[in-house]
Amino acid sequence: MLSTNSTNPCTSQARAEVNEPIDHTVLASYEAVQVSGDPDLIVELINLYVDDVPLRVRAMRRSLKEKNLPGVTREAHSLRGSSGMVGANEVEKVCHEIEMLSEDALRNAPGLLNWLEVELERAIFVLYSVRTGRPE
Amino acid sequence: MRILIAEDDPISSRVLGTTLIKWGHEVVITNNGLDALAELQKDDAPPLAILDWMMPGLEGPEVCRRVRSDATMAGTYLILLTALSQPEQMVAGLEAGADDYLTKPFNRSELRVRLQVGARTVDLQSKLVQRVEELEVAVAERHRAEEALRHLTLTDELTGLRNRRGFFSIAENVLQTTQRASQTSVLFYADLDGLKKINDTHGHSVGSLAIVKTAEVLLRTFRSSDIVARLGGDEFAIFAQKTSWTDMEHIAARLESSLRSVNEEESNPYSLSLSVGAVLIDRDNTLSLEKLISKADDAMYLQKRGKKAASERGIVELDFSRNYEFQETLAR
Repeated sequence: MLSTNSTNPCTSQARAEVNEPIDHTVLASYEAVQVSGDPDLIVELINLYVDDVPLRVRAMRRSLKEKNLPGVTREAHSLRGSSGMVGANEVEKVCHEIEMLSEDALRNAPGLLNWLEVELERAIFVLYSVRTGRPE
Repeated sequence: MRILIAEDDPISSRVLGTTLIKWGHEVVITNNGLDALAELQKDDAPPLAILDWMMPGLEGPEVCRRVRSDATMAGTYLILLTALSQPEQMVAGLEAGADDYLTKPFNRSELRVRLQVGARTVDLQSKLVQRVEELEVAVAERHRAEEALRHLTLTDELTGLRNRRGFFSIAENVLQTTQRASQTSVLFYADLDGLKKINDTHGHSVGSLAIVKTAEVLLRTFRSSDIVARLGGDEFAIFAQKTSWTDMEHIAARLESSLRSVNEEESNPYSLSLSVGAVLIDRDNTLSLEKLISKADDAMYLQKRGKKAASERGIVELDFSRNYEFQETLAR
Protein backbone atom coordinates (compact mmCIF):
# COMPACT_ATOMS: atom_id res chain seq x y z
CA MET A 1 0.00 0.00 0.00
CA LEU A 2 1.20 3.49 -0.80
CA SER A 3 1.65 6.03 1.88
CA THR A 4 -0.97 8.73 2.01
CA ASN A 5 1.43 11.04 3.70
CA SER A 6 1.26 14.09 1.48
CA THR A 7 4.03 15.82 3.35
CA ASN A 8 6.52 13.38 1.86
CA PRO A 9 7.33 14.78 -1.61
CA CYS A 10 8.90 11.49 -2.72
CA THR A 11 5.86 9.36 -2.04
CA SER A 12 3.41 11.87 -3.44
CA GLN A 13 5.41 11.90 -6.67
CA ALA A 14 5.55 8.14 -6.70
CA ARG A 15 1.83 8.00 -6.16
CA ALA A 16 1.18 10.28 -9.13
CA GLU A 17 3.14 7.96 -11.38
CA VAL A 18 1.36 4.81 -10.39
CA ASN A 19 -1.48 4.76 -12.88
CA GLU A 20 -3.74 1.96 -14.02
CA PRO A 21 -1.62 -0.19 -16.36
CA ILE A 22 -4.53 -0.99 -18.66
CA ASP A 23 -7.14 1.35 -20.09
CA HIS A 24 -10.12 -0.96 -20.12
CA THR A 25 -12.12 1.17 -22.49
CA VAL A 26 -9.74 0.22 -25.31
CA LEU A 27 -10.34 -3.50 -24.82
CA ALA A 28 -14.05 -3.00 -24.26
CA SER A 29 -14.31 -1.21 -27.60
CA TYR A 30 -13.53 -4.48 -29.36
CA GLU A 31 -16.90 -5.83 -28.28
CA ALA A 32 -18.28 -3.76 -31.14
CA VAL A 33 -16.38 -5.70 -33.77
CA GLN A 34 -16.74 -9.13 -32.24
CA VAL A 35 -18.29 -11.37 -34.87
CA SER A 36 -20.79 -13.60 -33.16
CA GLY A 37 -19.78 -17.22 -33.42
CA ASP A 38 -16.09 -16.32 -33.77
CA PRO A 39 -13.58 -16.94 -30.95
CA ASP A 40 -13.53 -14.13 -28.39
CA LEU A 41 -11.56 -11.32 -30.02
CA ILE A 42 -10.41 -9.76 -26.75
CA VAL A 43 -8.96 -13.07 -25.53
CA GLU A 44 -7.30 -13.54 -28.89
CA LEU A 45 -5.72 -10.07 -28.81
CA ILE A 46 -4.48 -10.55 -25.25
CA ASN A 47 -2.88 -13.86 -26.28
CA LEU A 48 -1.26 -12.27 -29.30
CA TYR A 49 0.10 -9.48 -27.12
CA VAL A 50 1.40 -11.74 -24.39
CA ASP A 51 3.11 -13.94 -26.99
CA ASP A 52 4.62 -10.98 -28.81
CA VAL A 53 6.01 -9.06 -25.83
CA PRO A 54 8.90 -11.39 -24.82
CA LEU A 55 10.15 -11.40 -28.43
CA ARG A 56 10.22 -7.64 -28.52
CA VAL A 57 11.96 -7.26 -25.19
CA ARG A 58 14.54 -9.87 -26.13
CA ALA A 59 15.22 -8.16 -29.45
CA MET A 60 15.54 -4.83 -27.68
CA ARG A 61 18.05 -6.23 -25.19
CA ARG A 62 20.07 -7.79 -27.99
CA SER A 63 20.16 -4.52 -29.94
CA LEU A 64 21.19 -2.69 -26.79
CA LYS A 65 24.01 -5.11 -26.21
CA GLU A 66 25.19 -4.45 -29.78
CA LYS A 67 24.87 -0.68 -29.18
CA ASN A 68 22.43 -0.68 -32.08
CA LEU A 69 20.26 2.32 -31.26
CA PRO A 70 18.05 2.11 -34.38
CA GLY A 71 17.35 -1.51 -33.48
CA VAL A 72 16.33 -0.52 -29.94
CA THR A 73 14.06 2.31 -31.05
CA ARG A 74 12.52 0.20 -33.78
CA GLU A 75 11.48 -2.49 -31.33
CA ALA A 76 10.25 0.13 -28.88
CA HIS A 77 8.20 1.66 -31.64
CA SER A 78 6.72 -1.68 -32.54
CA LEU A 79 5.91 -2.53 -28.93
CA ARG A 80 4.36 0.89 -28.44
CA GLY A 81 2.03 0.17 -31.35
CA SER A 82 0.77 -3.15 -30.02
CA SER A 83 0.57 -1.87 -26.44
CA GLY A 84 -1.71 0.91 -27.65
CA MET A 85 -3.95 -1.68 -29.21
CA VAL A 86 -4.57 -3.43 -25.86
CA GLY A 87 -4.79 -0.21 -23.86
CA ALA A 88 -1.43 -0.73 -22.10
CA ASN A 89 -0.93 3.01 -21.66
CA GLU A 90 1.96 2.86 -19.23
CA VAL A 91 3.95 0.47 -21.41
CA GLU A 92 3.26 2.83 -24.28
CA LYS A 93 4.75 5.71 -22.32
CA VAL A 94 7.99 3.89 -21.53
CA CYS A 95 8.27 2.73 -25.11
CA HIS A 96 7.93 6.31 -26.20
CA GLU A 97 10.75 7.33 -23.82
CA ILE A 98 12.96 4.61 -25.31
CA GLU A 99 12.05 5.64 -28.85
CA MET A 100 13.17 9.17 -28.09
CA LEU A 101 16.63 8.03 -26.88
CA SER A 102 19.58 9.68 -28.55
CA GLU A 103 23.05 8.16 -29.02
CA ASP A 104 24.15 10.30 -26.06
CA ALA A 105 21.40 8.99 -23.86
CA LEU A 106 21.92 5.37 -24.79
CA ARG A 107 23.46 4.81 -21.35
CA ASN A 108 19.97 5.43 -19.92
CA ALA A 109 18.59 2.52 -21.87
CA PRO A 110 19.21 -0.31 -19.38
CA GLY A 111 17.30 1.63 -16.74
CA LEU A 112 14.47 2.33 -19.14
CA LEU A 113 14.34 -1.31 -20.16
CA ASN A 114 14.03 -2.35 -16.53
CA TRP A 115 11.23 0.14 -16.10
CA LEU A 116 9.63 -1.26 -19.27
CA GLU A 117 9.69 -4.78 -17.88
CA VAL A 118 8.06 -3.63 -14.66
CA GLU A 119 5.28 -1.92 -16.61
CA LEU A 120 4.89 -4.95 -18.86
CA GLU A 121 4.55 -7.20 -15.86
CA ARG A 122 1.83 -4.98 -14.41
CA ALA A 123 0.03 -4.75 -17.74
CA ILE A 124 0.17 -8.49 -18.39
CA PHE A 125 -1.07 -9.20 -14.88
CA VAL A 126 -4.18 -7.13 -15.55
CA LEU A 127 -4.62 -8.59 -19.02
CA TYR A 128 -4.52 -12.11 -17.59
CA SER A 129 -7.25 -11.20 -15.15
CA VAL A 130 -9.30 -9.74 -17.98
CA ARG A 131 -8.79 -12.94 -19.94
CA THR A 132 -9.88 -15.07 -17.01
CA GLY A 133 -13.09 -13.04 -16.73
CA ARG A 134 -14.02 -13.51 -20.40
CA PRO A 135 -16.79 -15.97 -21.24
CA GLU A 136 -15.57 -19.33 -22.53
CA MET B 1 -14.68 -3.55 -51.00
CA ARG B 2 -11.52 -5.65 -51.00
CA ILE B 3 -8.89 -4.15 -48.73
CA LEU B 4 -5.25 -5.11 -48.34
CA ILE B 5 -3.78 -4.95 -44.86
CA ALA B 6 0.00 -4.92 -44.61
CA GLU B 7 0.93 -4.91 -40.95
CA ASP B 8 3.61 -6.85 -39.14
CA ASP B 9 2.18 -6.29 -35.69
CA PRO B 10 -0.18 -9.25 -35.20
CA ILE B 11 -2.46 -7.40 -32.79
CA SER B 12 -2.93 -4.39 -34.97
CA SER B 13 -3.40 -6.62 -37.98
CA ARG B 14 -6.01 -8.74 -36.17
CA VAL B 15 -7.96 -5.74 -34.93
CA LEU B 16 -7.91 -4.11 -38.36
CA GLY B 17 -8.89 -7.32 -40.12
CA THR B 18 -11.74 -8.11 -37.74
CA THR B 19 -12.99 -4.53 -37.84
CA LEU B 20 -13.01 -4.40 -41.62
CA ILE B 21 -14.73 -7.79 -41.92
CA LYS B 22 -17.32 -6.67 -39.41
CA TRP B 23 -17.96 -3.66 -41.65
CA GLY B 24 -18.58 -5.95 -44.57
CA HIS B 25 -15.24 -5.65 -46.35
CA GLU B 26 -13.15 -8.46 -47.71
CA VAL B 27 -9.57 -8.42 -46.44
CA VAL B 28 -6.27 -9.65 -47.78
CA ILE B 29 -3.64 -9.76 -45.03
CA THR B 30 0.13 -9.60 -45.38
CA ASN B 31 2.77 -8.95 -42.76
CA ASN B 32 5.49 -7.37 -44.90
CA GLY B 33 6.02 -4.85 -47.65
CA LEU B 34 7.18 -7.22 -50.39
CA ASP B 35 4.10 -9.43 -50.10
CA ALA B 36 1.96 -6.29 -50.02
CA LEU B 37 3.47 -5.05 -53.27
CA ALA B 38 3.03 -8.48 -54.86
CA GLU B 39 -0.67 -8.46 -53.87
CA LEU B 40 -1.14 -5.00 -55.33
CA GLN B 41 0.48 -6.06 -58.60
CA LYS B 42 -2.03 -8.85 -59.15
CA ASP B 43 -4.77 -8.48 -61.73
CA ASP B 44 -7.50 -8.70 -59.11
CA ALA B 45 -5.59 -6.53 -56.62
CA PRO B 46 -7.59 -4.84 -53.85
CA PRO B 47 -8.29 -1.22 -54.81
CA LEU B 48 -7.47 0.03 -51.31
CA ALA B 49 -4.53 -0.79 -49.06
CA ILE B 50 -3.72 0.00 -45.46
CA LEU B 51 0.06 -0.12 -45.08
CA ASP B 52 1.97 -0.06 -41.86
CA TRP B 53 4.88 2.35 -41.92
CA MET B 54 7.49 0.08 -40.36
CA MET B 55 7.49 -3.37 -41.87
CA PRO B 56 10.09 -5.96 -42.75
CA GLY B 57 10.98 -6.21 -46.42
CA LEU B 58 9.70 -2.91 -47.70
CA GLU B 59 8.51 -0.15 -45.42
CA GLY B 60 5.12 1.43 -46.08
CA PRO B 61 6.39 4.61 -47.79
CA GLU B 62 8.58 2.54 -50.14
CA VAL B 63 5.56 0.42 -51.08
CA CYS B 64 3.71 3.69 -51.80
CA ARG B 65 6.55 4.91 -54.01
CA ARG B 66 6.67 1.70 -56.01
CA VAL B 67 2.91 1.60 -56.46
CA ARG B 68 2.92 5.19 -57.67
CA SER B 69 5.71 4.58 -60.16
CA ASP B 70 3.75 1.81 -61.84
CA ALA B 71 0.94 2.97 -64.12
CA THR B 72 -0.96 -0.31 -63.74
CA MET B 73 -1.44 0.38 -60.02
CA ALA B 74 -2.17 4.10 -60.44
CA GLY B 75 -5.70 3.78 -59.12
CA THR B 76 -4.82 2.05 -55.85
CA TYR B 77 -5.84 4.04 -52.78
CA LEU B 78 -3.14 3.91 -50.11
CA ILE B 79 -3.51 4.61 -46.42
CA LEU B 80 -0.35 4.65 -44.31
CA LEU B 81 -0.64 3.42 -40.78
CA THR B 82 1.84 4.72 -38.27
CA ALA B 83 2.49 5.13 -34.61
CA LEU B 84 4.59 8.14 -35.54
CA SER B 85 2.58 11.25 -35.24
CA GLN B 86 5.06 13.99 -36.04
CA PRO B 87 3.86 16.24 -38.85
CA GLU B 88 7.14 15.70 -40.79
CA GLN B 89 6.40 11.97 -40.87
CA MET B 90 2.94 12.58 -42.21
CA VAL B 91 4.33 14.88 -44.91
CA ALA B 92 6.98 12.31 -45.85
CA GLY B 93 4.30 9.62 -46.09
CA LEU B 94 2.05 11.67 -48.32
CA GLU B 95 5.04 12.68 -50.44
CA ALA B 96 5.86 9.01 -50.91
CA GLY B 97 2.49 8.66 -52.58
CA ALA B 98 0.06 7.75 -49.79
CA ASP B 99 -3.46 9.15 -50.18
CA ASP B 100 -4.11 9.31 -46.46
CA TYR B 101 -2.69 8.22 -43.13
CA LEU B 102 -3.89 6.90 -39.82
CA THR B 103 -2.10 6.98 -36.50
CA LYS B 104 -1.92 3.96 -34.22
CA PRO B 105 -3.69 3.03 -32.09
CA PHE B 106 -6.33 4.01 -34.56
CA ASN B 107 -9.66 5.33 -33.60
CA ARG B 108 -12.33 3.25 -35.27
CA SER B 109 -14.72 6.03 -36.16
CA GLU B 110 -11.78 7.82 -37.76
CA LEU B 111 -10.87 4.65 -39.63
CA ARG B 112 -14.45 4.34 -40.81
CA VAL B 113 -14.64 7.86 -42.26
CA ARG B 114 -11.22 7.62 -43.85
CA LEU B 115 -12.26 4.37 -45.50
CA GLN B 116 -15.40 6.10 -46.74
CA VAL B 117 -13.25 8.80 -48.32
CA GLY B 118 -11.06 6.10 -49.85
CA ALA B 119 -14.04 4.11 -51.10
CA ARG B 120 -15.47 7.24 -52.71
CA THR B 121 -12.18 7.89 -54.50
CA VAL B 122 -11.86 4.26 -55.58
CA ASP B 123 -15.44 4.35 -56.83
CA LEU B 124 -14.88 7.54 -58.83
CA GLN B 125 -11.65 6.15 -60.20
CA SER B 126 -13.27 2.93 -61.36
CA LYS B 127 -16.17 4.87 -62.88
CA LEU B 128 -13.64 7.03 -64.69
CA VAL B 129 -11.76 3.99 -65.95
CA GLN B 130 -15.05 2.43 -67.03
CA ARG B 131 -16.07 5.65 -68.81
CA VAL B 132 -12.71 5.85 -70.58
CA GLU B 133 -13.12 2.24 -71.69
CA GLU B 134 -16.63 2.98 -72.94
CA LEU B 135 -15.35 5.98 -74.86
CA GLU B 136 -12.52 3.95 -76.35
CA VAL B 137 -15.01 1.34 -77.48
CA ALA B 138 -17.25 4.06 -78.93
CA VAL B 139 -14.34 5.66 -80.77
CA ALA B 140 -13.23 2.30 -82.17
CA GLU B 141 -16.82 1.58 -83.17
CA ARG B 142 -16.99 4.88 -84.98
CA HIS B 143 -13.70 4.27 -86.74
CA ARG B 144 -15.02 0.95 -87.90
CA ALA B 145 -18.24 2.53 -89.12
CA GLU B 146 -16.32 5.21 -91.00
CA GLU B 147 -14.07 2.60 -92.51
CA ALA B 148 -17.08 0.59 -93.60
CA LEU B 149 -18.65 3.69 -95.04
CA ARG B 150 -15.47 4.56 -96.90
CA HIS B 151 -15.48 1.05 -98.22
CA LEU B 152 -19.04 1.44 -99.37
CA THR B 153 -18.47 4.74 -101.10
CA LEU B 154 -17.84 4.74 -104.82
CA THR B 155 -15.88 7.96 -105.05
CA ASP B 156 -12.17 8.56 -104.63
CA GLU B 157 -11.76 11.23 -101.97
CA LEU B 158 -8.68 12.87 -103.46
CA THR B 159 -9.70 13.26 -107.11
CA GLY B 160 -13.46 13.02 -107.04
CA LEU B 161 -13.23 10.29 -109.70
CA ARG B 162 -14.76 6.90 -109.16
CA ASN B 163 -12.66 4.60 -107.01
CA ARG B 164 -11.96 0.95 -107.78
CA ARG B 165 -15.26 -0.10 -106.31
CA GLY B 166 -17.04 2.66 -108.21
CA PHE B 167 -15.34 1.60 -111.42
CA PHE B 168 -16.27 -2.03 -111.05
CA SER B 169 -19.84 -1.30 -110.00
CA ILE B 170 -20.55 0.46 -113.29
CA ALA B 171 -17.99 -1.00 -115.71
CA GLU B 172 -19.24 -4.56 -115.14
CA ASN B 173 -22.64 -3.54 -116.47
CA VAL B 174 -21.20 -1.61 -119.38
CA LEU B 175 -18.98 -4.55 -120.27
CA GLN B 176 -22.02 -6.81 -120.57
CA THR B 177 -23.77 -4.25 -122.75
CA THR B 178 -20.70 -4.08 -124.99
CA GLN B 179 -20.68 -7.80 -125.37
CA ARG B 180 -24.36 -7.86 -126.35
CA ALA B 181 -24.20 -4.92 -128.76
CA SER B 182 -22.05 -4.97 -131.85
CA GLN B 183 -19.94 -2.10 -130.63
CA THR B 184 -16.38 -2.19 -129.43
CA SER B 185 -15.02 -0.47 -126.36
CA VAL B 186 -11.53 0.23 -125.14
CA LEU B 187 -10.24 -0.18 -121.64
CA PHE B 188 -7.31 2.09 -120.82
CA TYR B 189 -4.91 1.70 -117.96
CA ALA B 190 -2.96 4.85 -117.16
CA ASP B 191 -0.13 5.33 -114.71
CA LEU B 192 1.41 8.60 -113.64
CA ASP B 193 5.14 8.55 -114.40
CA GLY B 194 7.61 9.19 -111.62
CA LEU B 195 5.18 9.71 -108.71
CA LYS B 196 7.70 8.24 -106.31
CA LYS B 197 10.29 10.73 -107.48
CA ILE B 198 7.82 13.62 -107.11
CA ASN B 199 6.95 12.45 -103.60
CA ASP B 200 10.59 12.02 -102.63
CA THR B 201 11.72 15.34 -104.10
CA HIS B 202 8.79 17.65 -103.39
CA GLY B 203 6.89 15.90 -100.64
CA HIS B 204 3.65 13.96 -100.52
CA SER B 205 1.35 16.96 -100.78
CA VAL B 206 2.87 17.86 -104.16
CA GLY B 207 2.57 14.18 -105.08
CA SER B 208 -1.12 14.24 -104.16
CA LEU B 209 -1.57 17.36 -106.26
CA ALA B 210 0.05 15.56 -109.22
CA ILE B 211 -2.57 12.82 -108.84
CA VAL B 212 -5.32 15.44 -108.83
CA LYS B 213 -3.82 17.03 -111.97
CA THR B 214 -3.68 13.65 -113.66
CA ALA B 215 -7.38 13.20 -112.96
CA GLU B 216 -8.02 16.60 -114.59
CA VAL B 217 -6.01 15.58 -117.64
CA LEU B 218 -7.99 12.38 -118.00
CA LEU B 219 -11.33 14.15 -117.59
CA ARG B 220 -10.34 16.65 -120.30
CA THR B 221 -9.21 13.85 -122.62
CA PHE B 222 -12.15 11.51 -122.38
CA ARG B 223 -15.85 12.06 -122.99
CA SER B 224 -18.28 12.46 -120.17
CA SER B 225 -19.84 9.14 -121.13
CA ASP B 226 -16.54 7.36 -120.49
CA ILE B 227 -15.90 5.86 -117.06
CA VAL B 228 -12.80 7.44 -115.56
CA ALA B 229 -11.60 6.00 -112.27
CA ARG B 230 -8.66 6.04 -109.95
CA LEU B 231 -7.98 2.43 -109.02
CA GLY B 232 -5.50 3.40 -106.34
CA GLY B 233 -2.15 5.15 -105.91
CA ASP B 234 -1.10 6.55 -109.28
CA GLU B 235 -3.16 4.10 -111.31
CA PHE B 236 -6.20 5.00 -113.35
CA ALA B 237 -8.63 3.07 -115.53
CA ILE B 238 -10.88 4.39 -118.25
CA PHE B 239 -13.65 2.47 -119.89
CA ALA B 240 -14.38 4.21 -123.20
CA GLN B 241 -17.58 2.96 -124.82
CA LYS B 242 -18.27 3.00 -128.52
CA THR B 243 -14.56 3.34 -129.15
CA SER B 244 -12.41 1.40 -131.60
CA TRP B 245 -8.77 1.40 -132.61
CA THR B 246 -9.53 4.02 -135.23
CA ASP B 247 -10.20 6.51 -132.46
CA MET B 248 -6.79 5.96 -130.91
CA GLU B 249 -4.94 8.62 -132.76
CA HIS B 250 -7.57 11.16 -131.87
CA ILE B 251 -7.51 10.17 -128.18
CA ALA B 252 -3.71 10.22 -128.12
CA ALA B 253 -3.73 13.70 -129.57
CA ARG B 254 -6.26 14.90 -127.00
CA LEU B 255 -4.28 13.36 -124.17
CA GLU B 256 -1.12 15.00 -125.39
CA SER B 257 -2.76 18.38 -125.66
CA SER B 258 -4.39 18.08 -122.22
CA LEU B 259 -1.06 17.17 -120.70
CA ARG B 260 0.68 20.01 -122.46
CA SER B 261 -1.82 22.60 -121.35
CA VAL B 262 -1.70 21.40 -117.75
CA ASN B 263 2.08 21.40 -117.81
CA GLU B 264 2.14 24.86 -119.35
CA GLU B 265 -0.46 26.58 -117.21
CA GLU B 266 0.88 25.32 -113.92
CA SER B 267 4.12 26.45 -112.43
CA ASN B 268 4.76 22.88 -111.34
CA PRO B 269 8.22 21.90 -110.26
CA TYR B 270 7.72 18.72 -112.29
CA SER B 271 6.33 17.80 -115.68
CA LEU B 272 3.31 15.53 -115.71
CA SER B 273 3.60 12.49 -117.95
CA LEU B 274 1.58 9.31 -118.29
CA SER B 275 2.12 5.80 -119.47
CA VAL B 276 -0.98 4.30 -120.97
CA GLY B 277 -1.89 0.80 -122.02
CA ALA B 278 -5.12 -0.22 -123.72
CA VAL B 279 -7.13 -3.28 -124.62
CA LEU B 280 -9.88 -3.53 -127.16
CA ILE B 281 -13.13 -5.12 -126.12
CA ASP B 282 -15.27 -6.49 -128.91
CA ARG B 283 -18.33 -8.72 -129.00
CA ASP B 284 -16.14 -11.82 -128.96
CA ASN B 285 -14.56 -10.84 -125.70
CA THR B 286 -14.92 -13.43 -122.99
CA LEU B 287 -12.52 -11.95 -120.51
CA SER B 288 -13.64 -10.64 -117.15
CA LEU B 289 -13.19 -7.01 -116.26
CA GLU B 290 -10.46 -8.04 -113.84
CA LYS B 291 -8.58 -9.82 -116.63
CA LEU B 292 -9.05 -6.92 -119.05
CA ILE B 293 -7.59 -4.49 -116.53
CA SER B 294 -4.64 -6.79 -116.05
CA LYS B 295 -4.03 -6.94 -119.83
CA ALA B 296 -4.21 -3.16 -120.14
CA ASP B 297 -1.85 -2.92 -117.19
CA ASP B 298 0.64 -5.20 -119.00
CA ALA B 299 0.42 -3.01 -122.10
CA MET B 300 1.01 0.09 -119.97
CA TYR B 301 4.00 -1.56 -118.37
CA LEU B 302 5.54 -2.34 -121.75
CA GLN B 303 5.17 1.29 -122.70
CA LYS B 304 6.66 2.49 -119.46
CA ARG B 305 9.66 0.22 -119.90
CA GLY B 306 10.06 1.34 -123.50
CA LYS B 307 9.94 4.95 -122.40
CA LYS B 308 12.58 4.40 -119.76
CA ALA B 309 14.87 2.67 -122.27
CA ALA B 310 14.25 5.45 -124.79
CA SER B 311 15.07 8.20 -122.31
CA GLU B 312 18.21 6.34 -121.31
CA ARG B 313 19.21 6.35 -124.98
CA GLY B 314 18.39 10.06 -125.10
CA ILE B 315 15.56 9.83 -127.61
CA VAL B 316 11.88 10.44 -127.43
CA GLU B 317 9.65 7.95 -129.13
CA LEU B 318 6.20 8.53 -130.38
CA ASP B 319 4.65 5.20 -131.13
CA PHE B 320 1.06 4.58 -131.92
CA SER B 321 0.52 0.92 -132.17
CA ARG B 322 -2.63 -0.50 -133.64
CA ASN B 323 -2.07 -3.60 -131.74
CA TYR B 324 -3.35 -4.45 -128.25
CA GLU B 325 -0.89 -2.04 -126.88
CA PHE B 326 -1.80 1.55 -127.15
CA GLN B 327 1.40 3.34 -126.59
CA GLU B 328 1.82 6.97 -126.21
CA THR B 329 4.90 8.81 -125.21
CA LEU B 330 4.90 12.45 -124.61
CA ALA B 331 7.54 15.03 -125.08
CA ARG B 332 8.61 16.54 -121.82
